[in-house]
Amino acid sequence: MREDFREEKKIENAYDSELMKRLLGYSKQYWKILLLCIFLLLIVTGVQLARPYIIKIAIDDHINALDTPMVAFDIGESPIEDQGTIFRNKVYIRENRLGGDYESQPRYQIINHDVEHYLIKGTIDKGVTYEVEEKENTATITTENDAVFTGPKLNSQELVDFREQDISALIKLSFLFLGLILTGLVINYIQTYLLRKTSQRIIYNLRQDVFSHLQKMSLAYFDKNPVGRLVTRVTNDTERIKDMYINVLVTVFKDFFLLIGIIAIMFSLNLKLSIITLAMMPLVFLAAFIFRKYVREAYREVRTKLAKINSNLSENISGMKIIQIFNQEKRKLSEFVNINNEYYKAAMKQIKIFAVFRPTMGFLYSLTLAIIIWNGGNQVLEGIIQFGVLYAFIDYIKKFFQPINDLSEKYNILQSAMAASERIFEILDTEVEIKNPDNPVQLPEKIEGKVEFKDVSFAYEEDEWVLKNINLKINPGETVALVGATGAGKSSVIKLISRFYDIQKGKILIDDINIKNINKKELREKIGVVLQDVFLFTGDMKSNIRLNADWIPDKKIIEAAKYVNAHKFISKLPKKYEHKVKERGATLSAGQRQLLAFARALAFDPDILVLDEATSNIDTETEVLIQDALEKLTRDRTTIVIAHRLSTIQDADKIVVMHKGEIREVGDHQELLDKNGIYYDLYQLQYKDQLFKREEKKSS
Amino acid sequence: MDKYTYLSFFKKYKGRYILGVIWLIIVDGLQLIIPKLLGNITDKIKYDLLDTTGLIKYAGLIIILALGTAIFRFLWRYFIFGTGRLIEKNIREDFYNKLQSLSTRYFNDHKTGDLMAHATNDINAVRMAMGPGIVMIADAVFLTTATIGILIFTIDIRLTLLALIPLPFLSLMAVKFGKIIHSKYKKVQKSFSNMSDKAQENFAGIRVVKAFAQEKEEIDKFAESNRENYEKNVDMFKYSSLFHPLVQFISALSFLIVIGYGGILVIRGTISLGDFVAFNSYLGMLTWPMMALGLVINHLQRGQASLDRLNVIFNEKEDIFDQNIDENIKEIKGKIEIKDLDFKYSDSEEYALKNINLNINPGETAAFIGRTGSGKTTLVNLLLRLYNVEEEKIFIDGNDINDIPLAVVRENIGYVPQDNFLFSNTINKNIAFANPTNMSQDEIIKASKDAQVYENIIEFPDKFKSLLGERGSNVSGGQKQRISIARALIKNPKILILDDSLSAVDTQTEERILESLEEIMKGKTSILISHRISTIKNADKIFVFDEGKLIEKGNHEDLLKNEKLYYDLYQKQQLEEKIANS
Repeated sequence: MREDFREEKKIENAYDSELMKRLLGYSKQYWKILLLCIFLLLIVTGVQLARPYIIKIAIDDHINALDTPMVAFDIGESPIEDQGTIFRNKVYIRENRLGGDYESQPRYQIINHDVEHYLIKGTIDKGVTYEVEEKENTATITTENDAVFTGPKLNSQELVDFREQDISALIKLSFLFLGLILTGLVINYIQTYLLRKTSQRIIYNLRQDVFSHLQKMSLAYFDKNPVGRLVTRVTNDTERIKDMYINVLVTVFKDFFLLIGIIAIMFSLNLKLSIITLAMMPLVFLAAFIFRKYVREAYREVRTKLAKINSNLSENISGMKIIQIFNQEKRKLSEFVNINNEYYKAAMKQIKIFAVFRPTMGFLYSLTLAIIIWNGGNQVLEGIIQFGVLYAFIDYIKKFFQPINDLSEKYNILQSAMAASERIFEILDTEVEIKNPDNPVQLPEKIEGKVEFKDVSFAYEEDEWVLKNINLKINPGETVALVGATGAGKSSVIKLISRFYDIQKGKILIDDINIKNINKKELREKIGVVLQDVFLFTGDMKSNIRLNADWIPDKKIIEAAKYVNAHKFISKLPKKYEHKVKERGATLSAGQRQLLAFARALAFDPDILVLDEATSNIDTETEVLIQDALEKLTRDRTTIVIAHRLSTIQDADKIVVMHKGEIREVGDHQELLDKNGIYYDLYQLQYKDQLFKREEKKSS
Repeated sequence: MDKYTYLSFFKKYKGRYILGVIWLIIVDGLQLIIPKLLGNITDKIKYDLLDTTGLIKYAGLIIILALGTAIFRFLWRYFIFGTGRLIEKNIREDFYNKLQSLSTRYFNDHKTGDLMAHATNDINAVRMAMGPGIVMIADAVFLTTATIGILIFTIDIRLTLLALIPLPFLSLMAVKFGKIIHSKYKKVQKSFSNMSDKAQENFAGIRVVKAFAQEKEEIDKFAESNRENYEKNVDMFKYSSLFHPLVQFISALSFLIVIGYGGILVIRGTISLGDFVAFNSYLGMLTWPMMALGLVINHLQRGQASLDRLNVIFNEKEDIFDQNIDENIKEIKGKIEIKDLDFKYSDSEEYALKNINLNINPGETAAFIGRTGSGKTTLVNLLLRLYNVEEEKIFIDGNDINDIPLAVVRENIGYVPQDNFLFSNTINKNIAFANPTNMSQDEIIKASKDAQVYENIIEFPDKFKSLLGERGSNVSGGQKQRISIARALIKNPKILILDDSLSAVDTQTEERILESLEEIMKGKTSILISHRISTIKNADKIFVFDEGKLIEKGNHEDLLKNEKLYYDLYQKQQLEEKIANS
């Protein structure tokens, strides 16, 4: 049971076309760049595929091309100028340089026997064995089929002459290759950079959307969703989607191009070898498919276990004092050791799976290689293909395996991106609960400050009424103190005035306008709220008073701070108003934080003030300051205060006693005491000691 | 604790590493045969020295080699990566064990987040160095030297030297780029956590944001950090995007040399076509180890830096432990004596406690009262030995607190802290925290009744089996306080300390708790710390603290007669009452 709430929700679908469509929607405005990336990828893939092909050309057309049949022309008669080799007043040109027009011309071939080379008239097929008889630098060659060829022996200079064209071609080929890889470098860089930058930009937008949408959510939403979870949605989940954009979406085209390109080249080179290679693929895919499942599970397990370690560790560090005081080090250690072992086991399982997976894929590659060598080698022996073709195949199948190897990784990325996007869209699909009116009533610059509750009933959860039929009228400038036991509904009353929650029944009016007809922002600008636990933001004292309202000048901030007695402690801080708030203001006392909150409320000069008095841990000195500040703040301002101090209650124009979600008594202090009702009881309870004392004194 | 060094890991896991590296070298060796085979096949085909059976033999040989490679590859991965994981596991265990031995002082100075960063990033960096790092070293050393050796001795020295010119740049680039990218990545991480903080703060403070209608401004503020993260990422991409294209380019340069110069050598007959083919294959095998050579330097450096940071923690002096204790002390009755106690926190100039003298006898209820920062909690911390205190200052049952086994002190004190830390576990486990295996459900229920939280618990859907959120986030402050009171009471402690633990409890409940405490703590010692006079006025002894000094002691009546701070506090309340009744 314990695991459930911390472990990631399992999402089985790796691909959901609806989600994908929405995700892709975010890339719409960048489609031109993404299309460019795809186009550039096409070029990059081409460059990558070119290398084996260039080597094939180098081998077949040049390095291994000495025995290519040639046609001889008289000098000057050659159809292609500056080509061929001049040998004994004839120009010899390789037949593959000529078109098909010279079919009828006799062929010449250079035959290599032992270390000697002979230029014979006619050609001998590959695989045909022959014998050589040499007489006065002329060879007579008899094949196994009894065909006879004659020709001169070539000396080393003559041989070099014949090879001259190959060397210059190789140099040209090298430059072509250099050009290609340079192009590859530049284009690959541009493509990678553009793609990453654009993906980051898309995530920027998505993140901004999620955050902005969350800002519109009601407090009820934040009550239900822990802060940590929301932060994860905004930051980590979006990051997962970025991974998908960078590593899957566009690169999948690259894999596609690569596979298609290789298949096309292979088929153009040799049909039989291509079919053999492709025939191996189902086996490879099967292996990848089987492993994918294990890899995915292992991966998930490692992640969950690591999350478990981290949350355990972080909790134990925070609670170390309790662990030590309760003498629980041994137990907590063994608990930690267990979790750590679980993680280790999961990690080892992952290692094992990969230790089988990777070598298996490697083995399948080698198996394919062996079959290709066996079959291709035979074809070379039979003269069906040239050696370079075999070489190219060996090179290409290596490249062929790469995208398949990466498949499971990409699948993981895709899957976690899908899960993340599901969670993100769940947020984006949550409707704004507290809506602005279509035709808001414009409030004047300064409002009167009349507040009225008419038959208001309210529940956080359906049918669990927290406020029942509340009727309350507060006149401009009045101070109303709400008193009652915890859970009486006091804080709900003050939350409703700012429309943090919408009421189910009745109306709340400000200056006789239903607050549902007022723009939320405008409404809240008129109301200053001071909460019991004062939240301080990172930043300095000044920015915590002004919040983001840069239009409030420093002068006004200091004025406000002076007015509410916060100036004194702020000026004692090392950097005064520029003093940085550390750890949410933990270094400030509760009283100081409350004073700061007063200054914050005052800086915005609200027409209505709503406040929840702080109770605990306030030392006497600050207490006096707070009382004084409160008195000033409430002067001439409609104020609704959840009162804990007798003095505050005392100074109120009206005391509203709440009990179980209802208003039970209204009146001033004396009236209520005289009533001998709930207020009297509350009062008795809190100040019983003092009452006893008085009684004692009286009796003595 | 010994210092962790790379060498210490090697020594500890010598067998695994040696075997792992042997398997790795076997794999490398087997792989090195393949290009040579390809070369032989090429030459034999070219000179017609091969027939179908010969080809089958070669194909068979390749399959056997592949099989061997697969098996040994499995082995080295398991041995070396596994050892990395084992080291990770052991460091993490030691790390946690070490943390537990450190005192509160340490945790005051070190934030949870920083310690977590050690536990995740640093331990991971060490694993990377000791797992993949080792593979890289082995590959870099063995594959590089073997390949180069083969190329020079069996093919051609000039071609080898020429073709290898670009490759050192691969290592150099991996070092340089690795460093740049890593430093950029750190900036990315920083901007990312900055952005997380912004979001976190916004959501935590959403009530203020909404109350002051600051949503739009907050969105702009978030956009700023979001943009910062975007820019830092893009800045990193400028470099990281170049890495792989450049790797490909540099290794392609080597191929360029082989195609050009190597091709010419074949034409000239200096090397055979088979050599050419083999050379190309070997070259393909060199890219990774040359890169690894560069990468491993970064891995090792990062790992070393992490080790250094971890060693700082491991070498942290434990300051609270049993030393010259009296083993015969097995239990505590609850008499507390404090004599001329001065105390100063290590990071502070000022004394937190000055010349404290007090006595509390078993069966008494003592109360500490005073302003925030007056030293009440400090004194309690010393009683719990969360900080060390000089000899002859604090006595329990007449024994110096330093002579009593730490476990005995803490077992006999029931403590309810100010911050009420609860664990994300069931309510049962939280209440029975002191001894979860031996506590019966009846005991747990009794403790919860005494702490006045039973009624709340049985209203939860899963009652005592309800899971608390992290730090007890799903129960109210008052409920948390009462659960942690139950957690202390269940120990049946000889000394009970409530450190301002009733602040979130309403007065009626407080009264009931105090009543039940009176019953439970009969004959035992209770210490109450509170701001409310109503909480403490019935105490047998009230100690009033101010600025680290014990300025008054006595019972309620005595202190009123004293007419000092306590009297002032009381007066204030009376004054309020008077105003209220006027």
